[in-house]
Amino acid sequence: MKLSDRTQDGIVVLSPSGKIMGGPDASLLNDKLHQCIESDQKKIVVDLAGVEWMNSTGLGILISSYTTLRNNGGELKLANVTDKIHSLLVITKLVSVFEAHDSVDEAVGAFGQG
Amino acid sequence: MDKPVIKGNTITVPSKLDHLADVDLFIEGILRGYGTDESLIADIAISVSELVNNAVSHGNQGESDKIVSVSIEKTNGSVSIAVTDEGGGFNPGEIANPVADENLLKDVGRGIFIVNSLMDTVETKKSDKGTTVVITKSLQ
Ligand SMILES: Nc1ncnc2c1ncn2[C@@H]1O[C@H](COP(=O)(O)OP(=O)(O)O)[C@@H](O)[C@H]1O
Ligand SMILES: [Mg+2]
Repeated sequence: MKLSDRTQDGIVVLSPSGKIMGGPDASLLNDKLHQCIESDQKKIVVDLAGVEWMNSTGLGILISSYTTLRNNGGELKLANVTDKIHSLLVITKLVSVFEAHDSVDEAVGAFGQG
Repeated sequence: MDKPVIKGNTITVPSKLDHLADVDLFIEGILRGYGTDESLIADIAISVSELVNNAVSHGNQGESDKIVSVSIEKTNGSVSIAVTDEGGGFNPGEIANPVADENLLKDVGRGIFIVNSLMDTVETKKSDKGTTVVITKSLQ
């Protein structure tokens, strides 16, 4: 897994790519998310376009960041959920938890609407 | 043991999450050699990654001097993969349902549930040496 990050209209956009399977690659995403939360950047979009697949470790990172942000007045939204990840979200019923958008622009724009 | 060792259709790795990628590369390579469709390769690779994570973290309990071995074989259009650790095993029937309302927001506990959903069969065997989880999936 690789990870790139940028800011768009004051929103942090994290774009992991490759496979999120656990071990060092997963720590990279987890550390980055928690670093953002600690430095008070609490509006985050995770762009999944480049993620080939993830397992329960990846889902665990997303859900723990989601709840930590929620509890601290922030929010995590997903963008570009691929078919593979969508079916995993359906299987685990997390599809009902995450707000997902078809593009990063749309996800970033959705923050403005409160 | 300090490096992955491949013998035929088996890869044996030191019990560390750093080696998840080595196992994945090996398994995906063999599945591709069978001519398996990419979406099916991903489902099987996800499942194997769950089992190796569990073998390292729960089975071998993070003791990096232990080993995990993963074997793959194809019979009658179906692939069978066995993941073995040196631990005392577990009872899959005792795992809490991760899609129950009270568990939905937990950050762990979805691995075996996902494997059960993606694979055709999942079987756990205990021996005096350790625990093996065997998954099968039809390639047709
Ligand atoms: N190889 C194993 N050896 C011992 N216990 C295991 C093994 N695999 C799974 N378990 C047990 O089953 C539980 C559920 O595993 P899983 O569904 O992968 O969720 P998680 O790994 O996130 O806890 C684990 O917490 C552990 O108690
Ligand atoms: Mg697990």
